[in-house]
Amino acid sequence: MHRLLDVLASGVHDAKNELFFAESQIAVAETTYGIDLSEARYAIEAASGRLSRTLSAYHLLRKDASLSIVPSVIDDLCSEIALDQKKHLANAGIALEVDCSVRDEWPIDRDLITDLLNNAVQNAGRHARSKVRLKAWNDEATLFFRVEDDGPGFAESSAGIKRGTGLIVAERIASLHTRAGRHGSLHLANGGELGGGFFEMHLP
Amino acid sequence: MAIIDYREKRFLVIDDQPMARESLRAIAQTAGAFAVEFAPGYQDAIFKIRNNTPDIILCDYMLGNGRSGQQLLEELRRFNLLPDETIFMMVTGEQSYEQVVAAVELVPDDYIIKPFSPDKLILRLDRVAAKKQFFAGFYREKRKQEYAKALAILASIKDSEAGRAYRFESLRQEAEVHLASGDAEKAEIAYRGILERYEFPWARAGVAKSLHHQNRLTEAREEIEKVVAGTPHYFDAADLKANICMAQGEHAEAQKVLDEVAKKTPRNYLRKRLLAEAAELNGDTAAAQAAMADVVSNDTMPGAVSTEDQLALARTHVGAGDLISAEKVLLLMRESEVMNLDLAQQASFSALLAVASAAKGKPKFAGLRPALLASPLPTVSRVDVLRGALAVDDRELADSQARQLMSGEDAKKVFGAVRKLYALQGREPDFREIQRQVALQRIHHDEEPEPGG
Repeated sequence: MHRLLDVLASGVHDAKNELFFAESQIAVAETTYGIDLSEARYAIEAASGRLSRTLSAYHLLRKDASLSIVPSVIDDLCSEIALDQKKHLANAGIALEVDCSVRDEWPIDRDLITDLLNNAVQNAGRHARSKVRLKAWNDEATLFFRVEDDGPGFAESSAGIKRGTGLIVAERIASLHTRAGRHGSLHLANGGELGGGFFEMHLP
Repeated sequence: MAIIDYREKRFLVIDDQPMARESLRAIAQTAGAFAVEFAPGYQDAIFKIRNNTPDIILCDYMLGNGRSGQQLLEELRRFNLLPDETIFMMVTGEQSYEQVVAAVELVPDDYIIKPFSPDKLILRLDRVAAKKQFFAGFYREKRKQEYAKALAILASIKDSEAGRAYRFESLRQEAEVHLASGDAEKAEIAYRGILERYEFPWARAGVAKSLHHQNRLTEAREEIEKVVAGTPHYFDAADLKANICMAQGEHAEAQKVLDEVAKKTPRNYLRKRLLAEAAELNGDTAAAQAAMADVVSNDTMPGAVSTEDQLALARTHVGAGDLISAEKVLLLMRESEVMNLDLAQQASFSALLAVASAAKGKPKFAGLRPALLASPLPTVSRVDVLRGALAVDDRELADSQARQLMSGEDAKKVFGAVRKLYALQGREPDFREIQRQVALQRIHHDEEPEPGG
């Protein structure tokens, strides 16, 4: 099993190197010719994110999955997501609002959480009419992230909100975050402050 | 808007893949960099950094030839080649480097996952710069080894509003400074303070290290076992475990642990040195010889192979009974080098030479005799002197060394080796007598009332 993971990881690694080369060439072209090709760069980063996410889904759904917890500055993480998504959303006529009131470092898997929130913002952007909001706050024991939009909300059946693979992986990432016996969790609901669905993650 | 003017900064891009180098250069230049130099490999990078330290280093994690960016970073710190102001940014294609950062003590200023835009690079570099600015005064004093001043600065900034974003880093720095200044008890408290907030492997290893320094070996071992079991890719933890095992006299376990990690990090020569020491203590003279020979011929950093290494190599040859090789190593040391040895090194040099070649070594060894009887010596030199004294049949000198060793802090570590040396001379009963005397002395000492108490 680990061998397969190594093969996949090596393939993803090579593909990302190629994508990085493409992105760097586009960045050079933008400067040289004074043009904006940010959507092309966005597509490259999205493709690369998709590759990483596939790999980490494979890794995370195994029994022995573990996280890499590092102290992370939450405000920095939020500005990075804004940098990744704001312009792309603006091109689609959607405003991204980021509201972070967390001042302390927090022990989390920085890369997985960033990726997960990027994905949540992208999804919200697909359903939003004009606005997406990313909010982060904390109390003594818990760090909260909330992503919401002003779209029609999640499709609901009698069994509740339908959860695809992406959400199952997100839930797994949240619950692998443990601290003093407490696990992280994921909450989805409709009727958020902006009127649409919202996605909330609680991390210990 | 960048807080640094990147046009004035010198970048060094380290990557063995031409296309990846080109990508990094293009991104750095788009971010505003004017001067971007390349290093295609490990040695070249060290040469460039040594000669003209760049302001910002972008280093790929995989450098080819069994080398990694992490190893380069460790080597640069080991030789003090990275000034506090230089930014070291690891660049990686996959998430797995995060596992390394999450575990180890020695981390880069930050790491970034490919692909990334020039804007993201600027965002990350700006943050590192802000953090360096926050800790600047502290780092300055720490580097000068003015530990009390460093801690005072840290205390004055860590609870500030700006300090909230760096609270784990502040706690970690505090613990490290206590350890560096020799206050292992305070270091332990600081590391435990971090663990109360989160179970970081590096903080647990810090507790183990602090306990080791306090000679609380059983507890240290328990703590480090937890780290090694939980984070198998945290190789420094394996080194620490091996050191603790050696202090406990469990040399076979130490060698086994080091052997396993050394296979995964074949070009880490500090680890090879440790492996040689463990193998030597474990009586596996062939493994000790092989490890030290590898160090001396392949650790190619200028100045990396020291006098201590030459002595260690000679020691492994002596241990293996290969006296001709031992003599060769010792006699190949330059005269100027031998002239400048400190007493401990002179003791080792002359003792090992006396074993390897009585005719060449004995006179110098005899000349040092009064100093060897009277002066404090590190454990490794004392064992050499003991070996030399037994070889030239100087019983008084040998027994005095054995007594000192058995009553010192490293008694457990060298017990097996010392007993074996006596056994080789058929003098086991004498060694048992020395042990008995040392034990009696300890009891007597323990019964004495505390001064002033």
